[in-house]
Amino acid sequence: MLAMRGMGVRVLLHLQRTSGTSVGVASLRTHPSQLCQIRSQSQGSDPLNATVKLRTRLLVSLLFGGGLLGAWAYVHWEKQQRQWRQRTEQLRKVALGQGTFSLVDHTGRRRTKQDFLGSWVLLYFGFTHCPDICPDELDKLSAAVAVLDQDASLPPVQPLFITVDPERDGVPALARYVKDFHPRLIGLTGTPEEVKHAGRDYRVYASPGPKDQDGDYIVDHSILIYLLSPDGLFLDYYNRMKSSEQIADSVRNHMRSYQRL
Amino acid sequence: MTAPNSAERRVCWDARDLLWKCLDANHDSAEACQKQQSHFEDKCPAQWVRYFSKRRDFLKYKERIQTEGFTPAEGPRQNS
Repeated sequence: MLAMRGMGVRVLLHLQRTSGTSVGVASLRTHPSQLCQIRSQSQGSDPLNATVKLRTRLLVSLLFGGGLLGAWAYVHWEKQQRQWRQRTEQLRKVALGQGTFSLVDHTGRRRTKQDFLGSWVLLYFGFTHCPDICPDELDKLSAAVAVLDQDASLPPVQPLFITVDPERDGVPALARYVKDFHPRLIGLTGTPEEVKHAGRDYRVYASPGPKDQDGDYIVDHSILIYLLSPDGLFLDYYNRMKSSEQIADSVRNHMRSYQRL
Repeated sequence: MTAPNSAERRVCWDARDLLWKCLDANHDSAEACQKQQSHFEDKCPAQWVRYFSKRRDFLKYKERIQTEGFTPAEGPRQNS
């Protein structure tokens, strides 16, 4: 505003030089006092002006800072969503579990992959003679399913256990084994061919070790929990490092986004 | 032979944990932990005894590498 006043003075001076009329001279004579008046007026209201200006500045800074934070948070969230979508897409391309399997459950009933379509499935491959890993993973799986069971808005998850040791894990062995875990856990077995076919579908590695004098052996196998969608598509997997809460969160996430689709 | 059930597994794991605690306290001396060793071998299938022994060896090895470091193996010489 001072600048504008300065310009005004310059314009008047210019007029005085060019016009040289009495009007211009008169206006120049009055103008400096007017200018002084205006200046003193502005100096008198300076504290008020200054406070107002400070408050405005603070407010503007806060709004600007808040806006920046909000923008960053949104971008961060959006990036996470994008990464999660990309991962799901990549896993979809890998397209595990495209085939069908036909196995016998721990009650002796024949089950095929078709029977589980329409349910969310958490699937684990293991064997009953497993020293520690399979019980740990099945405990973790059961805990994750139990957490998801508590949420009434989510569909129930079907836990499945497929053996990689069909020679020893027949129906009675499976029945004995699965009752130690989640009540809905279904154990599946079959002939070595059927089991190998199911394992191959999920690219499961399984290799029985050498037999000792008791005929006992350990089966070396890949340790993963697979998540299958209601149309039987492989959506995600969880390794040994994922906790049951992390698995439950991930499954919940998949369920919610799946429903939206 | 049937697989150990949940209770039997837990008994075996407890025996293993006792043995490992003893070994940790006695700098892995097998003589000091004879009692725990025989208890462990009694409660667990032979395969599991072998498996857990190998597991302990691996965990000790991993700990050693993490604390003491290691010298990387010499790879093929590159002609620079």
